[in-house]
Amino acid sequence: MPPTTENQQSSFLGRISIRRNQVMSMDGSNDQEQEDLELFQKHVGDRFSDLLSSTTEDPSSDALLSIGWIRKLLDELLCCEAEFKAVVMMGRDPAQICKPPLDRLLPDLLDRVVKALDVCNAVTLGIDAVRNLQRLAEIAVAALEPRPMGDGQVRRAKKALNSLVTAMMHEDKECGSSKGTERSRSFGRRGNAGKDRGGGSFRSLSWTMARNWSAAKQIHAMSSNLAAPRGAEATGLASPLYIMSTILVFVMWTLAAAIPCQERNGLGSHLPFPRQLAWAQPMIGLQDKIAEEWKKKEKKGTVGLLEEMQKMEKVGQWLIDFAESFQFPGETERLDEVKVHVEELADICRKMDEGLEPLQLQIREVFHRLVRTRTEFLHVLDQAGKLSAPTV
Amino acid sequence: MEKNIDDHSNTFPHKDEENNTNANNTPHSLSPKTEENAKEAKSDGENEKANDLDHVKGEPEEGDKEEKENEDVLTFEVTPETPPPNLEKVSEDIDQFLATPHENNNNNVSDNEEKIPEFVDKFLDLVEEKMARYKSCEKKWGETVEEDSSFLEDVNRVSKLMKLLSIMLTEFQSREEKEEEKEGEEEKKGEEENEKEKEKEKEKEKELQEKHAKKDNSILFNRVDAIQQRAMSYLEEEFHLLMEESRVENKPEPNGAHDSKGKNVATPESSENEPIETPMDFPGFKDEAITNLNKIAREMLFAGYDSECCHVYIVSRKHSFGDGLHKLGYERISIDEVQRMQWESLEREIPTWINTFKECATVWFPGERKLVASIFSEDPSMADTLYTNLTRVVVFQLLNFAESVAMAKRAAEKLFKSLDMYETLRDTIPNLEKLFPKDIVDEIKAEMTSAKNRLGEVAVLIFCELENSIKNDNGKTPVAGGAIHPLTRYIINYLRLSCEYKDTLEEVFREHSKIERSDSTSRPRYENENQHSNEKENESPFTGQLTRVMELLDTNLEGKAKLYKEVPLSCIFMMNNGRYIVQKIKSSTEFYQVMGETWYRKRSTELRTYHKNYQIETWGKILNCLSPKGLNDNNGKVPKPALKERFKTFNTLFDEIHKTQSTWVMHDEQLKSELRVSISSLVIPAYRSFLGRFSQYLDPGRQTEKYIKFQAEDIETYIDELFDGNPNHGTMARRRA
Repeated sequence: MPPTTENQQSSFLGRISIRRNQVMSMDGSNDQEQEDLELFQKHVGDRFSDLLSSTTEDPSSDALLSIGWIRKLLDELLCCEAEFKAVVMMGRDPAQICKPPLDRLLPDLLDRVVKALDVCNAVTLGIDAVRNLQRLAEIAVAALEPRPMGDGQVRRAKKALNSLVTAMMHEDKECGSSKGTERSRSFGRRGNAGKDRGGGSFRSLSWTMARNWSAAKQIHAMSSNLAAPRGAEATGLASPLYIMSTILVFVMWTLAAAIPCQERNGLGSHLPFPRQLAWAQPMIGLQDKIAEEWKKKEKKGTVGLLEEMQKMEKVGQWLIDFAESFQFPGETERLDEVKVHVEELADICRKMDEGLEPLQLQIREVFHRLVRTRTEFLHVLDQAGKLSAPTV
Repeated sequence: MEKNIDDHSNTFPHKDEENNTNANNTPHSLSPKTEENAKEAKSDGENEKANDLDHVKGEPEEGDKEEKENEDVLTFEVTPETPPPNLEKVSEDIDQFLATPHENNNNNVSDNEEKIPEFVDKFLDLVEEKMARYKSCEKKWGETVEEDSSFLEDVNRVSKLMKLLSIMLTEFQSREEKEEEKEGEEEKKGEEENEKEKEKEKEKEKELQEKHAKKDNSILFNRVDAIQQRAMSYLEEEFHLLMEESRVENKPEPNGAHDSKGKNVATPESSENEPIETPMDFPGFKDEAITNLNKIAREMLFAGYDSECCHVYIVSRKHSFGDGLHKLGYERISIDEVQRMQWESLEREIPTWINTFKECATVWFPGERKLVASIFSEDPSMADTLYTNLTRVVVFQLLNFAESVAMAKRAAEKLFKSLDMYETLRDTIPNLEKLFPKDIVDEIKAEMTSAKNRLGEVAVLIFCELENSIKNDNGKTPVAGGAIHPLTRYIINYLRLSCEYKDTLEEVFREHSKIERSDSTSRPRYENENQHSNEKENESPFTGQLTRVMELLDTNLEGKAKLYKEVPLSCIFMMNNGRYIVQKIKSSTEFYQVMGETWYRKRSTELRTYHKNYQIETWGKILNCLSPKGLNDNNGKVPKPALKERFKTFNTLFDEIHKTQSTWVMHDEQLKSELRVSISSLVIPAYRSFLGRFSQYLDPGRQTEKYIKFQAEDIETYIDELFDGNPNHGTMARRRA
């Protein structure tokens, strides 16, 4: 709930609503509305181009797909959503919203909203599992930070890091078949307890969504009937609906790519974004970058694109290698190197510790906002239905 | 038990032997036996370390000498005369050693204090040996409580030693650094003064000694560190097993009483106390297991291995909760799926959800909190965090289902299940303070309240949509026979059921009817609303809405009544429907309360009016026929043709009425008989007296037969056939023949 979002949004909303009222009372000329639509498009373009440029131009800012960056992305989603509502809904005669093609496009958008809610929930569960990884990394930090460094602590760190790296590598293998959960459920007897202690796969660290639910399928369904409005529609209300849908699809896709969640096979396929529209350019740029990362991920078979997780894996691997060759008391130079890596790992843990919970809360905020918007649109549709229906 | 005694008897002499051999050796060397054990204990990559230790063995003689020299200064003493130390003795010594204050006065440290007594090594040997036996499964955890506790005590000593050693080493380090600085300064000053030179020499000597000691200590440190890690790793495994076993035990056992641990259970009655598959059993840990887990957790926390402990705990409990939810029949359904589900299938999920939710709120969460608090009794805030992490996800998932039901397409039939869910949430919210730690209560409360409110809003909307369903019911075909209209049945039964939820609906209406939702972000504007509703203060919005629905129904029914061509039939229609409504209301206390006595009286009066109207409309003409008026001329003579006409008219009219009205319907038996009685009492006496007075004027025989078709008794019979909804009563003439 960053105050900046609220401010921006309220001033914009205020402006639009005042203007709208004036326009309406003056027996609305379409010019004002057209201006609003263009402004909305411009803002969307600006917001996403900020997100894009922050990853390339300013090294001090949050890296692409880092927790901080994702939080910014969600902020932008919330802002866009508020503007969208202001443009499409506020002060408008319900009858306008029910006219074709909106009578078809609006329910489509609301359906996407529902699917987005599930993605939000899946990602929230994913974050919960990432917290478990964080705990493993913290063990390694706790073990390797103090000096002198003994064999025991090194072994301790190695064990935790092995669990960490294994959990990160095994998502896609275990995932998909329901056997994954079965297996993790059945451990516990003395015999096989050793193998799956604390849960070997990422799956066993995380809660599951509904059976057969698949993030990739949901996102695919969200984008499948997404087509840019053409001809006369391109200047009407169909346009902001299309923009909002695109933003929603893009943000959900990004979230699912960054944070491990149930069934992501096929997430790498390209989203059908229109190359010719100006506002979509930054989004396309971001998508290309993320898709690139995703390809790499698929090759390696690691869990998430979350920048912190990727770093964690790299540092973790390095420290495992170190731990394997460690002999007490260790060479000073090597220990200094370790110190740097441990500091980095501690830094990642700190970022996660500070960032994951607010991120979870923010996703929940998105969830509630989307629910509310959907309800409001349904209400408008209801009203319009009542007005047009030939009731007694 | 016997086996344990054997264990002991094997252990003690064996130890003595070791100590004897140790007496001849350097204290640091491991007896071959222990060494073997230690090696056994080392898994995989451990062997390198064993080599390290071997390598180390011979070196620290110098240090040993010093130790011996300084023994008298130490606050404890290991005298060779005392019986050779077993683990207990060594443990005592260690305890004493650890209990001695070791804070150093920074700069001025006496050498002695850095020396670690030889029995430390002995102690470590013994711990390793013990651990090896546990690890090789020669001894199992939980076999004897005393053994386990003494092992934990040893582990505790190891942790303390570890802490002590690392403090010592750090101080050493810092002192060394300082001295290096000092040295540097001195070198700058030059080496003019011999005295200083001497001093320096001395210092160097001291330094050398210290360095040895340091090396010595750091080797010991590494050993303790490794032992601690192995011990912790073992405890972690045991902790995990205990967690999992308790969970497994809570599942129904196909073999009945078989103890899944395969161990001798110390308290056999505990298995009897554990009725299988009782939900109340959650989380199903035996006291013994909890005590054990607590002890292990305490040592792991003390050793700084808290994260491992937490990790094992949370992963295990997560699976346990997953299993539990599954067992309750609760299945996660995505929001998207809920929107697509048929109401019939979704409806079935709701009682399961309610059951699960209540189970969680009343049994599982309190049980879980107790469990985590008893296992992590050393660190309540950690216990709270673990509990929060675990339950928060469960709560959110459960709430998501509530949200998705609230989002589903509204339909009248969903009202009651939505209210059931609403009530479940509402009743849980006041208990949240007790259920959750302070820092999370607000968040959970907000989420739960939001889900509750959404369900409440939906309930209000659904209820208000009843208005539409009445308004939209405007078919032009009247119901045959003036019977109860399906709309009446539907609405009244719906309202009656709603009144069973009266309190909840009133609450929901109070909270949500004001919500102005056409405008995006704005919430209710209470001030304006209040001004308006001041006059209606004492009427609850729900009652108001219900009354409105009833009024709408009345209007609708009146419209429907007009569809009948015959006025008496529309009266019958109104009576039927009115009676149905009144009866339904009277038989439900809640409904009656909501509608109020005044309303009820008014409706009863209305019914009587319809009754009267019906009588006038139907029987008025008949009574006119039977009136003596117009049949007496001034001379007291009765004009025969007029009389004949009267009889003829009566017969036709009555026949007609019988024919049509026996097909009409009066559902309510009581009302039917009341109606018949009132008709009889109206018609029969009039007919009887008409007959009595005028039948004499007809010629007996053919004429009488032709004009007097009914005897008074016949009239009664035919009246009793009215409103049966039976078209077969048909024409009476045929039957009479």
